[in-house]
Amino acid sequence: MKTSKCGLSIAFVNALVAVVLALPGMLPGQTAATKSSGGDGISATRWSVQVDQVDHGNLELAYSFQIAIYENLVEELKKTKQFQQVFRGGDQKASEVPNLLVLKTTVEKYTPGSETRRAVTTVSGATKLTVRSQLVTREGKVVLERTVNGEVRFFGSNIRATHNLARNIAKAIKQSSWTEVDQPAATLTGQL
Amino acid sequence: MERLLVLRNQRNARRFHCRAGMRLLVALICCGLTAAAQNSTQQKASKPFSIPATHLVGFENPKSNCSGTLSIQDDSLQFQQTGKSGAQIKIGSVRDIFLGEESRQVGGLPLTLGEAAAPYGGGRVVSLFAHKKYDTLTLEYVDADEGIHGAIFQLTKGHGVLIKNELIAEGVTITSRKDQSTKESAAEATHENK
Repeated sequence: MKTSKCGLSIAFVNALVAVVLALPGMLPGQTAATKSSGGDGISATRWSVQVDQVDHGNLELAYSFQIAIYENLVEELKKTKQFQQVFRGGDQKASEVPNLLVLKTTVEKYTPGSETRRAVTTVSGATKLTVRSQLVTREGKVVLERTVNGEVRFFGSNIRATHNLARNIAKAIKQSSWTEVDQPAATLTGQL
Repeated sequence: MERLLVLRNQRNARRFHCRAGMRLLVALICCGLTAAAQNSTQQKASKPFSIPATHLVGFENPKSNCSGTLSIQDDSLQFQQTGKSGAQIKIGSVRDIFLGEESRQVGGLPLTLGEAAAPYGGGRVVSLFAHKKYDTLTLEYVDADEGIHGAIFQLTKGHGVLIKNELIAEGVTITSRKDQSTKESAAEATHENK
């Protein structure tokens, strides 16, 4: 009886270890379907990217948020080292680069939060942003499409949501195998 | 008779000297006033406009959330981080200015930790009062290659309008959008009233 209990606990520990080892590869909130698109992104270094200004769609998003998303995106994309060069929107040097992708960001959903409400209630007052990010070639072909979330739930100012969002977008690009840009059916869609 | 003539001559000479002295005095006063006015104008022109600010995002050298001084000097807008090197942009490169309003908690991390540690939810009560309203100044500017940049600064309430007016006086034109301060504050207020 004792040995069977011992065996059971060993099996449980083994299963737990296996689950823990399998988890880190997965992004929080990423579905199994999007995981299949994971790649090393090494060949992406031959591409350069131009970050377009954020399109707020029909939403009343504060301009400071749009600028913060844009600036954080430029920073985070530089950090990933996935691209040869990261250009800003309107940069004339980008037109001379042969392999250029344009990152278009459209805000789909915005929930304005309140730092005070977060501090007082803990459970409410979160600032949430949902955007659709597209990597597009010069010819207008979409090579990557993702819906990404960014939010601040507990600590930090509202604008911190933009930093989290930009980091998630950069992470999504890094972990996607969008390098099959020459193939026509390479569009990937997923949600973080 | 001769005495009378001498006396008259003396009087005339005194009057002449008196008038000359008066004219000289008036001329001196005028010169002094003009010089003072010129001096004050020059001082006004050379005196830089500066206000305390917190850099949130955008400028390359200063880090995020660092405090310093935002100033306008000659033809450039400068952010000088306290005790460190600053960053500056040409005022002519600024395309747009936007003002906003935000409410933030004061006290930083120490107060947050204190609130968390306070028993019986006392920290939540403190949180209710430990916040302050700020102005946010968002700038859109271009670099030498026409690449678009943005910068966001957090200012003491009321200072946003001052620097905006100063920038407009320096020749910045607001082109694309209206200020969103009213919209933002309204949204925040609605959200906080819920």
